[in-house]
Amino acid sequence: MTERNGQESGYENIEPLFEELRAATPGEARYRALREEIVTRSLPLAEHIARRFAGRGEARDDLLQVARLGLLHAIDRFDPSRGSEFVAFAVPTIMGEVRKHFRDASWAVRVPRRLKELHLTLSQAGGQLAQRLGRAPTPSELAAELGLSSEDVWEGLLAGNAYHSVSMDAPRDDEGGLPLAETVGDDDAGLESVEYHESLQPLLADLPERERRVVMLRFFGNMTQTQIAERLGISQMHVSRLLARTLEFLRAKLSE
Amino acid sequence: MTETQPPTHEVGAQDDIELRLGANLVHLPVIRSVAASIAMRADFDLDAIADLRLAVDEACSTLITRAEPGSTMVCRFTIDDAELRFSGAVVSSAGEAPSTASFGWRVLTTLADSASSWIEPGAHNGQRNWVHIELAKRKPAFT
Repeated sequence: MTERNGQESGYENIEPLFEELRAATPGEARYRALREEIVTRSLPLAEHIARRFAGRGEARDDLLQVARLGLLHAIDRFDPSRGSEFVAFAVPTIMGEVRKHFRDASWAVRVPRRLKELHLTLSQAGGQLAQRLGRAPTPSELAAELGLSSEDVWEGLLAGNAYHSVSMDAPRDDEGGLPLAETVGDDDAGLESVEYHESLQPLLADLPERERRVVMLRFFGNMTQTQIAERLGISQMHVSRLLARTLEFLRAKLSE
Repeated sequence: MTETQPPTHEVGAQDDIELRLGANLVHLPVIRSVAASIAMRADFDLDAIADLRLAVDEACSTLITRAEPGSTMVCRFTIDDAELRFSGAVVSSAGEAPSTASFGWRVLTTLADSASSWIEPGAHNGQRNWVHIELAKRKPAFT
């Protein structure tokens, strides 16, 4: 690997790295190292955009995760030979991913602001408590942690059900070069024991990446929602929503 | 269609909650909310509450797709110190219980601690059967 100027950091002047990346062979150590460096250097972009969307009723971790996903898309699609700057290409791509997330996870009915905020508070406290306890907390543990009444906690948790569950038939972006290896592989073995797995398999393969991972980890990887949430860096409630709508989609498709 | 007797023979305990609704997918959100509400108030953990919600959703979808058009689905929630049980039934012309080798059943048995389904011959008309699904979610041990 060529010696690079150690001072170089951030996403300024990152374009030469892309030229090297495009010249490298995907899968090789050098390619991975280059991509890793690009990711590391441009991560602040994702963080910056996630911050801009904060405070709109979405969990911070979820936002950051989505923004990072957008960044990976941008990295895999950026074409340095067109002479534009990476930042100019990446910002709209990341923003697009974040907006898509808001569309996906927007509230279906008009839920009072107080309830949205309560739900968000519960979602965040739930994640912190899960870390501390090593398992999902109960409503009474959440109430104690936040100094709320049980009734408030119940109300806030139920409010989450008003989240939109967007049809999965909606067109989706091509999710190209994302790491899929974790999704399939060992978990796939369990599929063989399910009847009609030959019709299930292509449906699973065609799911957006996050949805597929969540389904595989829950139903073929024996992980709890809280464990999956931690693995993917999103909230348990987000995992729950993804599972609900993906199962609904699969049910509809399998019964066709 | 003539009104049919609910399939449960025993009179439920006073704390049981029974729902009777049209066997139609549009009613799923109601049943889901009731399931989540009961589990929350029983202080199940968030994973168990979410799992139960999905499990009841799956069970009811399975039943509804087998139900006679225009018929009624009967759902009952029973809770004690150890577990929350859900049982649902619809009138169906199906002659067999839902397959336990399907993806849906895989989903159900992953989400619930136990699940079973069976056919009960209809009392009034030999051509129609009750299809039952029952599942239980245990209260986590730490509480």
